Amino acid sequence: MKSKYIVLFGILVSLAFAIKETNPIYFKRPKSWPKPHYDFSKNPLTEEGFQLGRNLFYDPILSRDNTISCASCHLQATGFTHVDHSLSHGIDGKIGTRNSMALMNLAWSKSFMWDGGINHLEVQPLNPITNPVEMDETLEHVVKKLQKSDKYQRLFENAYGDSKITGQRILKALTQFELLLISSNSKYDKVIRKEAIFTDQEQKGYHLFKTNCVSCHNEPLFTSEKFENNGLATDTTINDLGRMKITDKKEDYLRFKVPTLRNIQFTFPYMHDGRFKTLTEVIKHYNSTENVRNLPKELAKPMNLSDNDRVDLVAFLKTLTDNEFLFDKRFSFPKE
Amino acid sequence: MIKKISICFIFSILFFQVTVAQKEKDSLIIDLHLKFGKQDLKLDEKYVSERKDTLQIEVFKFYLSNISIQYVDKSIYNQRDSYHLIDIENQNSLQIPINKMNKRAIEKISFTIGIDSLTSVSGALQGDLDPTKGMYWAWQSGYINMKIEGKSSSCNTRENEFQFHIGGYLKPHYSMRTVILEPRAITSNIAIDVDIATLFSELALSKTNSIMIPGKQAMEIADFSVKMFQIESK
Repeated sequence: MKSKYIVLFGILVSLAFAIKETNPIYFKRPKSWPKPHYDFSKNPLTEEGFQLGRNLFYDPILSRDNTISCASCHLQATGFTHVDHSLSHGIDGKIGTRNSMALMNLAWSKSFMWDGGINHLEVQPLNPITNPVEMDETLEHVVKKLQKSDKYQRLFENAYGDSKITGQRILKALTQFELLLISSNSKYDKVIRKEAIFTDQEQKGYHLFKTNCVSCHNEPLFTSEKFENNGLATDTTINDLGRMKITDKKEDYLRFKVPTLRNIQFTFPYMHDGRFKTLTEVIKHYNSTENVRNLPKELAKPMNLSDNDRVDLVAFLKTLTDNEFLFDKRFSFPKE
Repeated sequence: MIKKISICFIFSILFFQVTVAQKEKDSLIIDLHLKFGKQDLKLDEKYVSERKDTLQIEVFKFYLSNISIQYVDKSIYNQRDSYHLIDIENQNSLQIPINKMNKRAIEKISFTIGIDSLTSVSGALQGDLDPTKGMYWAWQSGYINMKIEGKSSSCNTRENEFQFHIGGYLKPHYSMRTVILEPRAITSNIAIDVDIATLFSELALSKTNSIMIPGKQAMEIADFSVKMFQIESK
């Protein structure tokens, strides 16, 4: 009998909170961009959900010893990646086997991580949270820690109408924050929208880009979302099999996700293992693939760019820098 | 505002009483009995398999999903959102209520062990499917359909442990399995034995003791797991 009243009280409380309204956010697709892959109907964006996700993204509470947050390896000013480290480091200073990926325009991504092992943006955070060299925590324990926090009780209540904290709610809120990390205001975008013009050098670089790079780094997202072997020699200290680890298919040996080139100026070092520090080194690699076997047809011939061409191409790549995105206060550490 | 709440309050009382009443009257229950051969399965108790492996179970969890009941009159009832995490450590999980009027005799019951591929690509889900339940892989998306862990002196591993995390939603390693049982025209609760000994009679623990990824071995265990389910013989 007593439990019946508790249940009734619960229903009453939740109804009272359900009346409290949230502020919806309209997801603005940049002009001429394709339809996003993410299904927003199952996770409608709200200001409160976004703010909850933003707080979680910057909070080391997600890690075992409360030292590592998502932002530890994904810093806004560098396109939400871990700058200066070839292999990203996590808890207790442990080092992983890959370079952290830049985070932007994720609503258009079909798979996540360098090997595409993650099939949905919402479940991606489980990977770093549980990885023993990243955050080494469990989602179950994160729920328990958040339940003890007055701040999060309030933020969950704002976002979901009641202060119940579940794994699903944590993941959906983080997803809301990540979905809104849209970078579409680089000089390149402004040129396409006819709000700016390229310099001669940038224009030459764009032409070279269209001839040599665009088949994998398709506009406007600058990635084909595919997995390719780009001819890098295997690092025998890591022996990373790439996508083959996920699919168990021979043809996926040494294939990695084609990353976006947006904000590439600041997302160094480059490649899945961060082996190149500069764009010049990257271009030199694509200039010298003649002796590599099993390359995709797009890379069958080396680029053979001259030094001048290389400088022009880098000038174009720098037009993909989006300062509005890199310094947007809505994406920065939440100060209260 | 207060008026609004009080109206909600009255409605919720009515709704609550109606649903409780309904549950008591209509509910049919699938009652799972976890066994090792003829004995009830208990955690950390020693058993001997048909292959003479001495073993003890420490974790036994699996998803039972997509329950469908076919009556003698050929009508079919499919349970909605039918995903149940069965866990030996959670006695409540061993009884699955089916909220459906059922004076009719049941001819067949079918369900799947594991999670279908569509659900496996649907992002963060709730309830028994919430990733906090410890049945979700992190390095590669997808649910663990069945988790069996324990110890056996036959295993030449650290602390003699064996671990089977059976899953995989992509072909050719799609490890969900369908079980079809014929309870001989009963109308009452359906008692099902889940005899884990049948699985260990197929497995040589000295050779196979750690499966943590989708693949051929997981597919084999998934095949064996179907045989664990039988209508309880009285």
